[in-house]
Amino acid sequence: MSEVNRDGYRHIETAEELYQNAPCGYVSFLHDGTIFNINGTLLNWLGYSREEVQDRMRFQQFFKVGGQIYFETHFFPLIQMQGFVNEINFDILRKDKTLLPCLLNVSEVTSSNSEEKTYRASIFNISDRKNYERELIAARKKAEETSRAKAAFLSMISHEIRTPLNAILGIGNLFHKTSLNAQQKEYARILLNSSENLLGLVNNLLDMSKIESHKVKLEKLPFSVTDLLEVLISTFQVKCDEKHIELRVILPANLPEHLLGDPYKLNQVLTNLLGNAIKFTKEGYVKLEISILELSEKKIFLRFAVSDTGIGIAEDKFEAIFDEFSQASYDVGLKYGGTGLGLTISQRLLQLHGSKMQLESEEGKGSRFSFDLHYDLDLQAGQKKKKALRKWEEQQLDPAHILVVDDNPLNIFIINEFLSGWNLSYEAAENGKEAVEAVGRRNFDLVLMDLHMPSMNGYEASKAIRDLPLERQPVIIALSASATGDISEKLEQAAINGFVPKPFSPAQLFEKLSQHLGADNGDHIIEEEIPAAPVSTNMSRFEKMSQGNTEFMRKALGSSLQAFINYQKEIQSITSSRNSDALASLIHKMSMSLYYVQAYRLSTLMEQYGDMLQHQAGETERLEQLEHGIDQEFQKVIIEIGTYLESIRE
Amino acid sequence: MSSPNLSDLTKRNNIRLLGSGTQPIVFAHGFGCDQNMWRFVYPAFEEEYKIVLFDHVGAGNSDEKAYSRAKYSSLEGYAKDILEICDALNLHNIILVGHSVSSMIAVLAANLEPSRFAHLILIGPSPRYINDNGYVGGFGREDIEDLLESLESNYLGWSATMAPVIMGRPDEPKYGEELTNSFCRTNPEIASHFAEVTFMSDNREDLEKLETPCLILQCSQDVLAPPEVGEYMKQRVSHNVFHQLKATGHCPNLSAPEETVAAIKEYLQNAE
Repeated sequence: MSEVNRDGYRHIETAEELYQNAPCGYVSFLHDGTIFNINGTLLNWLGYSREEVQDRMRFQQFFKVGGQIYFETHFFPLIQMQGFVNEINFDILRKDKTLLPCLLNVSEVTSSNSEEKTYRASIFNISDRKNYERELIAARKKAEETSRAKAAFLSMISHEIRTPLNAILGIGNLFHKTSLNAQQKEYARILLNSSENLLGLVNNLLDMSKIESHKVKLEKLPFSVTDLLEVLISTFQVKCDEKHIELRVILPANLPEHLLGDPYKLNQVLTNLLGNAIKFTKEGYVKLEISILELSEKKIFLRFAVSDTGIGIAEDKFEAIFDEFSQASYDVGLKYGGTGLGLTISQRLLQLHGSKMQLESEEGKGSRFSFDLHYDLDLQAGQKKKKALRKWEEQQLDPAHILVVDDNPLNIFIINEFLSGWNLSYEAAENGKEAVEAVGRRNFDLVLMDLHMPSMNGYEASKAIRDLPLERQPVIIALSASATGDISEKLEQAAINGFVPKPFSPAQLFEKLSQHLGADNGDHIIEEEIPAAPVSTNMSRFEKMSQGNTEFMRKALGSSLQAFINYQKEIQSITSSRNSDALASLIHKMSMSLYYVQAYRLSTLMEQYGDMLQHQAGETERLEQLEHGIDQEFQKVIIEIGTYLESIRE
Repeated sequence: MSSPNLSDLTKRNNIRLLGSGTQPIVFAHGFGCDQNMWRFVYPAFEEEYKIVLFDHVGAGNSDEKAYSRAKYSSLEGYAKDILEICDALNLHNIILVGHSVSSMIAVLAANLEPSRFAHLILIGPSPRYINDNGYVGGFGREDIEDLLESLESNYLGWSATMAPVIMGRPDEPKYGEELTNSFCRTNPEIASHFAEVTFMSDNREDLEKLETPCLILQCSQDVLAPPEVGEYMKQRVSHNVFHQLKATGHCPNLSAPEETVAAIKEYLQNAE
């Protein structure tokens, strides 16, 4: 830059020269953006002459429209508030309309002789940086995509594994029931055990991949915490009985029944903790304790604790057991099995709630896992609801006309069966569009709306129904199997009145309907004549329903078969423990399945057995007789459904 | 659904209450910033009014956890928040000042609960940003897509988000903070969604329904609300006073607070 002139003096560069030729661009502008000075470097980068820019262009004009909006809404306000902005990434438009990636620093300049604020921007050319950045972002995107693809693959393959696994379990069960010698029986038992473990593992993997891909969201649904606990306790009571350990349950007397929150997540965490506690406890007890930390008019803060007298955990393993695929030690995995995912999943589910699992434990003495959760009280759920839930079979719904919307004919069929049992009239629609048309055509009191349907889904259909000029809008109840996404928010937006998660029991549906339709406390009982059946089942009900559609028959019978195979497993564990409560709940659960295939003899036998257990009236011999009879009858029902299914296969 | 209580809302929307008057004046900031936008304006009202400042969910110091894509996929979600705030604070006879997109949010709120509001002050309002069949909004669809794209490649975000990513130390917030601009920080993902909702919205029909009297403050040389839009507002809103500001750009509340304050005060005095 400097050169020796004729007189022998070196030329010292002026500030102006330094400004014009600086390695960065400079531009100065007024509060409305009018440019009053710009340096040579920037003119050079942009391809403008000084005359074209100075006092003619506004700073904003250097940007594309998107950039201008950003300038007005973010950039300029920021300068005006803090007097500067640093390192803002803008693409500047060259005269030839190509883009120059830049980093901008702007500061406010207050000159002493003028009131007017001016601004000076220094601009760095970051074309090279931008290229690196692009590469980095692309690499990150690719890595994220790969990870997503992996998760999707994992979830797909888990689904695929589940189907044959269920078959293995079902057949294994049947196999176990055939006449086998002691060795074969032991082999079959191991086969069943291993299949069950494998199914548990696959289910955990599925959950984990859902959590990883952020598909798991918290719901805010009304639920009965006492019902949830009742089911949990009765399930784990059986397991404790099998292991001859005690199940202690301590609940606060003033535990409110109706809460708003996510019952599925709570159930999953408690199931995991109780399952672990029982698994790792040989003698002593497993204790579930719930205490109220805070209770206000609208909210409750609960502590859940599961403790045991099992093998305990060494302190240096406290953190590791919450890591994916890790257990306290390799030996634990060998000895007790499991995936090492349960606690990780539980911890992640608690994180969603903003909570965390606490652990106290001593090796050899036992462990105590606890966590705290906030719930809103469900103030709308009154006593009436409780009554409906408790004795729904004895109530009668007020007459109403109902529209059932579902793309799966089997679901329509099942729901319609419930509705006709309750003397409600109904129509069906197989998609959202049909539903909207049907509601437009005639008055419905209530619409049961599946949310996931092709073309027009339940939300869209509900919105469309709300837009119809009706004299009286129907109540809309959503039905959905997947509890993902912001369901409650979306429900509200579509003006949907209520929600029933799938799969639901008749009691759940009845309860929801009674909330919206009203119910009489009549002596109404669903009655069925019990004809003397030469065979154990009768498929006429299914046949009538299918109206000659063989595909429908195959589906309906396939799921019935699976259901009975599962029920048989349950009844076997019940007959070994002779637990009358568990039996009653199984009978309740089976009622619709029994009704469909008209397995009256099985139904009668189970009722008799139930009565005897409840009143502890039976002699052992009679009990054993019944147990044998039930077992035989189950076998027959399964074989008959299987045979029928075989006969309609192409 | 039960309505949230005041302490929940205070956390969600970072509500601040100031002023010694009784009539409430609620300031709703626009896209791109937070309640800091009002820092030069609200002090002028402190003596005579009760002042309510807040951040929209996703902006400023609001509770980001309260953000739900479903709820805020339309401006109505934001309008309902304002109504919840007014309800929880038991505000009536309210003057609602909305800047930029919040002027439409204010219109939606007033349409939902007309009885709550005495006046709306709409600063740089536009019911529809995209040109549409003869309507001039100032932008083509491709411009908005350009904006959304640019938001994704993040302007402000370069230092705030890229630096830690590239330097590989996302766990050292200190490092990021030095580079970051301290006001108007928004989560880039939320900003992008807010931009999409804002610039894709069409509130022309809502204007026709508006009954609440309002002041329209139109800026000079405002890319976001060109003169045609101001003219449209003037004609379509039933009870309006139209005021052309000398201030340039989209944020007169920052660039010309005195002029903005004077215009609002003049309007309110005449309205009494």
